[in-house]
Amino acid sequence: MSNSAVVVPRNFRLLEELERGEKGFGDGNVSYGMDDGEDVFMRSWTGTVIGPSNTVHDGRIYTVKLYCDKDYPDKPPAVRFESRINMACVNQESGVVEPRSFPMLANWRRDFTMENILTELRREMQTGQNRKLPQPPEGSTFTC
Amino acid sequence: MGVTVHVKCSNGAKFTVDVDLNSTVKDLKTDLAGKSEIPVEQQRLIYKGRVLKDDNSLSSYGLEAEHTIHLVRGAAATAASAGAVGTGRGDARLAGAATPASAPAGTPDLDGGLGGFGGLGGLGGFGAGLGGIPPDMHQMHQQILQNPNLMRDMMNSPAVQSIMSNPDLMRNLIMSNPHLREVLERNPDLMHVLNDPGILRQTMNAVRNPELMREMMRNTDRAMSNIEAHPEGFNMLRRMYETVQEPLMNATTRGGDAGAGDLAGNPFAALFGGVPAAAQAGGGTTAGATTAPAVPSGPAPNTAPLPNPWSPQQRTPAGTASAGITTATAGGVTTPGSATTTATMTTTMGSAGVGATPFGLLPEIGLMDPATMLQMLQNPAMQQVLQSPAMNQMMQTLLSDPSLLGQLTPQMRTMLDNPRVREMLQSPDFIQQMQRMFQMQSLWAPQLQALQGLGGAMGTQGDSTTAGAPAPDINLNALLSILGGQPGGAPASNIPPEQQYAAQLSQLEDMGFYDSQDKAYKALNAS
Repeated sequence: MSNSAVVVPRNFRLLEELERGEKGFGDGNVSYGMDDGEDVFMRSWTGTVIGPSNTVHDGRIYTVKLYCDKDYPDKPPAVRFESRINMACVNQESGVVEPRSFPMLANWRRDFTMENILTELRREMQTGQNRKLPQPPEGSTFTC
Repeated sequence: MGVTVHVKCSNGAKFTVDVDLNSTVKDLKTDLAGKSEIPVEQQRLIYKGRVLKDDNSLSSYGLEAEHTIHLVRGAAATAASAGAVGTGRGDARLAGAATPASAPAGTPDLDGGLGGFGGLGGLGGFGAGLGGIPPDMHQMHQQILQNPNLMRDMMNSPAVQSIMSNPDLMRNLIMSNPHLREVLERNPDLMHVLNDPGILRQTMNAVRNPELMREMMRNTDRAMSNIEAHPEGFNMLRRMYETVQEPLMNATTRGGDAGAGDLAGNPFAALFGGVPAAAQAGGGTTAGATTAPAVPSGPAPNTAPLPNPWSPQQRTPAGTASAGITTATAGGVTTPGSATTTATMTTTMGSAGVGATPFGLLPEIGLMDPATMLQMLQNPAMQQVLQSPAMNQMMQTLLSDPSLLGQLTPQMRTMLDNPRVREMLQSPDFIQQMQRMFQMQSLWAPQLQALQGLGGAMGTQGDSTTAGAPAPDINLNALLSILGGQPGGAPASNIPPEQQYAAQLSQLEDMGFYDSQDKAYKALNAS
């Protein structure tokens, strides 16, 4: 099935995502955009996830860095939390979202988007194990 | 340069505003304060994945016409938010219980922390050393013990967590109870448990998370049956019971010489003194028909008989020779709310409290008025019902399928809210009827299983647990009567065992357990 579908080239795909981010489609709980409007390769992106209510993350805004290499969207982007967060799939040293504990990255499909990643991260915050974890002070960031 | 931009709130509301791209973010917020009813200082604006800073201009973020900005209500005072959110629910409920323990807030200061911990002590059985606790703590303990949810909330509060993650503090608390200390000093293994923060942490996680808890219980269950399968394994378990669990129990039950204040602070004293029958019945499958004579609530040591070895909780099919005999120590004495306590002990100490019951894990327990619940559980007939294999099986099916449980919960609640239903549940006649029904059911077990297969939602676990029971060569009723026929008090030891247990032995032989008399004596004596 996927063989017959049109394969959207990287740049078109990223332009689509850029527009979605600027126009704010989606449920309003995640937001994302490109870091440097001049970068013709559109590699470096920033996203935010609004902490889901009824969790320790309620009212917090988490900043996430996404890096789309040349092989995006065939390969997932590298995802790293800039805001400090205590969550099972996030490396507590670097803030990197570990693909092996975050299935969406491990089982990446070409039609997944950065918005999907952010939404999934938000859902992850709501899961039983993560919703109650004690969190570092708001506003602190991973150092590297 | 004025353009139109969209603002999307996290609550779903949307506005369209005309802004000058050269104006600052602060200006925009002021404009939005009227429309969104969110004060400027609580507004967080997000655009393209970035939080907009008040002093920057809108154009510096590359905002363009028709673009969308997200508006989120942030915390007014950012500092306190973390702790407050975490403890929110727990606090509310503790306050409802009119206790001093609602203190834990953002900063885990020791006073607030200890308040929370006193209650928590009820769970771990470690609160015993906190002297000078006001009497209403006692009431709180009971409430907590009867409500697993409350407990979970409490476990999640940062204050409690910080205490539990501090092994030194924990150790001090435990050591401050002379009885507990004595037990610990005699058992270096237990000491090791206390000294290993990892185990504590693991336990805390389990207590907090019912899924994990269940998993741990299952593992322990399996481990126990493995041990039992081993020759000498049963003896080992029994020794463990004698050297660890019993003294521990006694230590936590004896509060007398420490004074009344301490007694109130001793969760186990409350537990065994105040609601002895409930403690047994909460064990449901463990205590069953052998109801304990009411334990005096004074400083006397725990004189309740040890748990019934014939707990149907065991997974081993009744057809194998070892089955009925080897589970003697498997029953922990638990209350509804504190099944987790036993579980805690079980998992950390590897001692013999496997009997943490389906009830302890059932969230429903919190639905009922505790008094009614106690009354129900104290009724010996009800205990028999609870003990019957069919009931047990039902429980397991339920527990193996959380979604089914979720479906049932609202129904249960409405049912239990009906006073007539409660009346019915308390009437001995009804319970006897139910019991008969269950016995019939166990005779029809094969058909029942077929029915279960139809009721798709039922897990496979039920089948595996019953597999042994309906086997034709076993006289199930005989087995039941053995289970029901256990004497209430501790058996007088000077009667020769073959005489004392003649009836049971002959029944055992009828069932094909010929060569296991020695084991049988041991098991029967241990009970």
